Amino acid sequence: MGREAILKSVKENKPTLIPLPMLDLNNFKEDINLLEEFKEKVKLVGGSLKELSSSETLENEIKKLYPNAKEIVDCSNQSTSLATVTISEGTNPKDLQNIDLAIIKGEFGVSENGSVWISENTFPIRVLPFITNDLVIILEKEKLCLHMHDAFSLISERERTFGVFISGPSKTADIEQCLVVGAQGAMSLSVFLF
Amino acid sequence: MTHADKAAEFNKNEAKVNWHDKALWYVREKRDKSAHGVIGWEHIRDVASGIKANVLSNLDNYLIEFEKNALNNGIKVHWASDAKEHNEIVSKILADNNAKKVVKSKSMLTEECHLNPHLEAQDIEVVDTDLGEFIVQIAKETPSHIVLPAIHKTKEEVDDLFQEHIGTKPSEGNPEYLTNEARKHLRNKFLNADAAITGVNFAIAETGGIVVCTNEGNADMGSHLAKVHIASMGIEKIIPKEEHLGIFLRLLARSATGQPITTYSSLFNKPAEGKEMHIVIVDNGRTEQLSREDFRASLHCIRCGACMNTCPIYRRSGGHSYDATIPGPIGSILSPGKDLTKHSSLPFASTLCGSCSNVCPVKINIHEQLYKWRQVIVKDVKQPIVKKSILKVAGGVLANRKLYNFSGRMARFMLKYAPRFIVYSKLNAWGKARDLPEVKGQNFDQWYKVKRKNNG
Ligand code: SF4
Repeated sequence: MGREAILKSVKENKPTLIPLPMLDLNNFKEDINLLEEFKEKVKLVGGSLKELSSSETLENEIKKLYPNAKEIVDCSNQSTSLATVTISEGTNPKDLQNIDLAIIKGEFGVSENGSVWISENTFPIRVLPFITNDLVIILEKEKLCLHMHDAFSLISERERTFGVFISGPSKTADIEQCLVVGAQGAMSLSVFLF
Repeated sequence: MTHADKAAEFNKNEAKVNWHDKALWYVREKRDKSAHGVIGWEHIRDVASGIKANVLSNLDNYLIEFEKNALNNGIKVHWASDAKEHNEIVSKILADNNAKKVVKSKSMLTEECHLNPHLEAQDIEVVDTDLGEFIVQIAKETPSHIVLPAIHKTKEEVDDLFQEHIGTKPSEGNPEYLTNEARKHLRNKFLNADAAITGVNFAIAETGGIVVCTNEGNADMGSHLAKVHIASMGIEKIIPKEEHLGIFLRLLARSATGQPITTYSSLFNKPAEGKEMHIVIVDNGRTEQLSREDFRASLHCIRCGACMNTCPIYRRSGGHSYDATIPGPIGSILSPGKDLTKHSSLPFASTLCGSCSNVCPVKINIHEQLYKWRQVIVKDVKQPIVKKSILKVAGGVLANRKLYNFSGRMARFMLKYAPRFIVYSKLNAWGKARDLPEVKGQNFDQWYKVKRKNNG
């Protein structure tokens, strides 16, 4: 009953068609260094960032940053030997509750807000980047775009299942506006660029 | 009770009011800083507003397109004309899945539909998992702000609530300790939930997908762990194309808290293997608002809260004084559309300073609509009610010293500097039905001349 009634009511009450405006991307042209801007924004949103000269040092750097991590899932395809837990599509999401560290490959970063796009293609269980205590995202330096308009054109051809822009660790300011990092999602986010 | 009565209640605790005022102004300042950092910000606002206008003018077709694409992706779509139908649909989905434990992330729509009491009456446990909402839920209150639900609570009050409800130790309101304890408590709830209910920030007609934005990660924790995900959305959440998200995601968090984007902007297009995803599309008075030419644009709202943070009345009267799910300037346009008599005092809870319209990311002419509601109310609502409510706004405020201190500044400014016809127009709450005290000092002309002289 709801569907027909709602559609009928919308039809009767809507104004005459107003054309869809176009965005003019020329308004957002900026001569900035994408990498520097991205680094600054990742820090602004509470993330940490490390630039590596090559992927070879990755394993060591992660170990240095998270020396106490025991249960580690690595979906980054960077052939590190850090993983202590392997997961697949069949894994029960609830079994990930004790994961200390997840390593995920980011598809690209967005300079204007320090976010990184990750999608289901790169991690088999959707809850992983949220339920893990700490999150590491690996990103290639060239894979940066200026703003969200470019970001959406980069993902326009993807297979649409689930994906997320992540900008920093989970946080809240719900108690007297005091910023606390580590709400219901990951307690920290580190981006490794190489 | 009118807005002024409830505001007087809130103003009993002066220190708290001052804090509330400053805290929200600080959020407004963060918004400014963040918005000013974006080249082309005004162009984004213009286009966003234009897209929303297009959406409303073609909403039936967009809804049909959205439904078709969502169904193709394996999402189940339901339609609810009102709150009752919405709640019944949700109950039915839960019953079909034998779900007894539900985690919810922030959704103003489910607040509007009073979903929690409905489910609780059927012995279903519902836990609000946004920290602010969790706080107001255990306090048995409602959110006082759409983005900062517990902004009216002090940390000491939260400390007491947590001691009572989740067994924390006294901490003098240590935010880190309390947040961490809530994290542990909620984690347990996420892991044991049978179903997750979330709101929807944007629903994309072109793809049938939805976007949910949070800072805490609670919507994702809930929806990816439970077997069933139910997302409730008002019909006005539709946007035509996925690329439009670029526009709205740039605006939303900057306008809300000054962040460049929320921590998580999650794009749901298909349910995960072995899981169910449901979307409930709700009218509940929206098509009626669509019919009102003067107030239609209120449906552009993307619920960022900026108009609340900037409003001098909201900041000093608190969200609960509006007695509605959506408080503040935008709420004062939406609420009279639902119940004109009950909410007839709300369009008068404004100085019409226009600050709300200035910050609104989708350029809703909020203060003009408030002014228009005043005209409707003066015409349509029985005069005694109008007179009484307006008198109470002006009279109640002028009689209360503390309130007067803040509104007084505004009123005195108006009295001193606004031309007589505005102050004494019958549509002005501060001037109507009461002789205002004589104002010492210069009149507008003198003031203007002095000003001009001083400015060379
Ligand atoms: S009316 Fe505008 S400023 Fe107010 S909450 Fe809605 S979008 Fe934000």
